[in-house]
Amino acid sequence: MSENADKSAAVMGRSPAFWGALMGVSYAALGGLAMAGAIEGTALLILMLVPMVIMVPLIKSANRRVDAGGNACFAKGEAQKRYLKRVAISTSIYMLAMAGLVFTENAEGIADTWRILAAIPPGLAIIGVFWAIGRLIVEEQDEFIRMLVVRQSLIATAITLSIASVWGFLEIADAVPHADAYWWAVLWFAGLGIGAVSNRMKYGAWGAV
Amino acid sequence: MNNRLKVLRAERDWSQQDLGDKLGVSRQSVNAIEKGRYDPSLPLAFKIADVFGLAIEEIFQREGAEQ
Repeated sequence: MSENADKSAAVMGRSPAFWGALMGVSYAALGGLAMAGAIEGTALLILMLVPMVIMVPLIKSANRRVDAGGNACFAKGEAQKRYLKRVAISTSIYMLAMAGLVFTENAEGIADTWRILAAIPPGLAIIGVFWAIGRLIVEEQDEFIRMLVVRQSLIATAITLSIASVWGFLEIADAVPHADAYWWAVLWFAGLGIGAVSNRMKYGAWGAV
Repeated sequence: MNNRLKVLRAERDWSQQDLGDKLGVSRQSVNAIEKGRYDPSLPLAFKIADVFGLAIEEIFQREGAEQ
């Protein structure tokens, strides 16, 4: 059964692990290129869509694995299905919002009010993902899986706040370039990945986020 | 904490998924409890005891206690 489940979990012939790794690599590449100054401004905003787009096949393949009850280190449950659906909706809204932001930033002679209004939706879409994780913690009935998600989130928070604190003071000393605040959310999502690896090493299961 | 979950499950010819379904938890949870990586809450421990028709102390023992 697990073989069938793994097969059905694959989207375009790839497993959730593949898409997850690809998303991690694209985040790392974007971060590296942005820090090196190779990409910036509108190009960076557009390229930030890449890891978000990769999240779509990742969620699809993960969802199919959930449905198939595969033997992966992935638990199945209604709360997780709802979580995946909410993340997919937030991601879609984010992509639309980013398109609107890029359009506004590229338009000439546009009023600051419109620029501000266009800059709000992407952040709200990201909040949607945080909300989805919060709801997952509230709705998950399996206490072990819930503990893994909480642990993952705490690890991501510890990593992000630690790096943000150090980075901020280094900025004062002009030792590092200025980092736009939305990068901390990006780092937090990457921290969830580190939390999942930590879960796997300590408890033998990745978690649900 | 030590437990006899694996033995009790084998006696009944249940898979980890079977036990998970009876308890309303994931197979991963059963696996983690069985391997001693995760100690269940008191409500879940009572549920496990009910499923096997045993007392909690017949399934879970303190670390170092005689089996």
